[in-house]
Amino acid sequence: MEDLILTPRGWIEAFGEIVRFAARMLREVASLRVMRFFGEALRQAGILIVSSTLVIWGLVFIIGLECGIEGAYFTYGEGTPAYSGVFAAWCDLRELVPLVFGYMMAAKVGTGIVAELGSMRISDEIDALEVMGISGMRFLCATRLLAALMVLPFVYLCSIAAGFFASYLAVVQQIGYVSSGGFFLIFWQFQNPPDLLYSLIKAMAMAIVIVIVGCYYGYNASGGPVGVGTATAKSMVLNLVSVHLIGMLGTQLFWGANPRAPIGG
Amino acid sequence: MLEEVGNMMLLTGRTLVSAVRPPYPYGSEFVGQFLFAMRLCWFPLLVSTIAFGYEAPGLQAANFLVLFGALDRLGGFFVLASIREFAPFVDAIVLAGVAGTAITADLGARKIREELDALEVLGVDPIKNLVVPRFLALMLLTGLFDIYALIFGVFGGILATVVNHAPLGPFFATFFNNAETTDLWGSVVKTTLFGAIIAIVCCYKGMTASGGAEGVGRAVNQAVVIAFLGIFAFNYAFTQTLLATHPDITTIIK
Repeated sequence: MEDLILTPRGWIEAFGEIVRFAARMLREVASLRVMRFFGEALRQAGILIVSSTLVIWGLVFIIGLECGIEGAYFTYGEGTPAYSGVFAAWCDLRELVPLVFGYMMAAKVGTGIVAELGSMRISDEIDALEVMGISGMRFLCATRLLAALMVLPFVYLCSIAAGFFASYLAVVQQIGYVSSGGFFLIFWQFQNPPDLLYSLIKAMAMAIVIVIVGCYYGYNASGGPVGVGTATAKSMVLNLVSVHLIGMLGTQLFWGANPRAPIGG
Repeated sequence: MLEEVGNMMLLTGRTLVSAVRPPYPYGSEFVGQFLFAMRLCWFPLLVSTIAFGYEAPGLQAANFLVLFGALDRLGGFFVLASIREFAPFVDAIVLAGVAGTAITADLGARKIREELDALEVLGVDPIKNLVVPRFLALMLLTGLFDIYALIFGVFGGILATVVNHAPLGPFFATFFNNAETTDLWGSVVKTTLFGAIIAIVCCYKGMTASGGAEGVGRAVNQAVVIAFLGIFAFNYAFTQTLLATHPDITTIIK
């Protein structure tokens, strides 16, 4: 871990290797060679749905509540409680739900992949696959990426719904400075389908990076059970930094020059 | 699930008791863990807070305020956004994701190599010698890193102001007009308690790691998920209580 953080040289080297690994993985998926193992991809998708969706929605729900109370108290302080919908809409849809989705993806799915693939690597199961003539990269990594691409857009859209519902609960039902109708009027006025699409693109970019980083650290784990633990911890560092950077670049790209608000000139 | 929560509560209680009861053999381990976590976290935290501050409260709020020609109010918004909410929360996420996972991996490795059992056989209490120093180090470090996260979060806001070609004077004027000491101590107390949550969850998961090759990786995975959920749930309860009991901090002085 030290070399990854402390020396710029090790940092750049690791980055280059991850990019090369990512290119190989994306090639397997884009060239549809992964379709030979479509059954395995479906199984991975099932595991993703059963084990990770609820906890992601739970975390997004909590952040929706928080956006709600902050927005309600802030707009009340400004003397415009009727406008707490603006705060909720932008905070949820544009910023916090993608970020929190990224956090929980990194924590639950990313480290889960590292732990799983890492233990396969150190118990020589990946080598056994290669001996049987099955590409470990294709069977283990590419199928996981395909599963993520199939499932996560829907998981993400549902988590936006969870965030919206939580903000509604916090602003209207709990704090109650604004009526339900007034809240929703402003709330829906200040967002439109392109915003939803941009938010989805941001979140999917995070999710793809997280799956790739997880596969990289798991696939290249070494040093026994202890090594798997260290690799899992390391993947988290890179994932957190990249989630924040993707969030920042996405916001700059999609909303930096154009606030996309139905007011002003 | 409930049993795990109960066990974590028990571990918290035992950690607190053995932290205050003499003897105090954990001094050097405390310093070592503090420096270890600081070395790991300072850079990811720096990148994360600047990115977050520039992105969420910076760009989006600046966009909104520019429409009204009131970009000078961005400073006042940063008091709410950065001090009260986002600096503590990014601080805790990074500490849990970076230092917390490292602690779980470390303790988990010792557990499955049976080093912890060996310590007990030697009559060394693992809670006093391993958990207490990590608990205190993470609490202190998360609290201190809150100030660091806050400074760089506000730096993100300064970047957003500069990108909009606005002068910085009004930003600082509204920032300091709206900054309350209640916000600051609330923020620091909150993050110190986040540090306690992270330390307990990560130490517990590391010390109960089991199951061969996959064990330590699994433990790290579960530790970080539980820590995130704990942080967010506690953050909601704390913010709600603070805002509801201190109506003065929600008033905007212009």
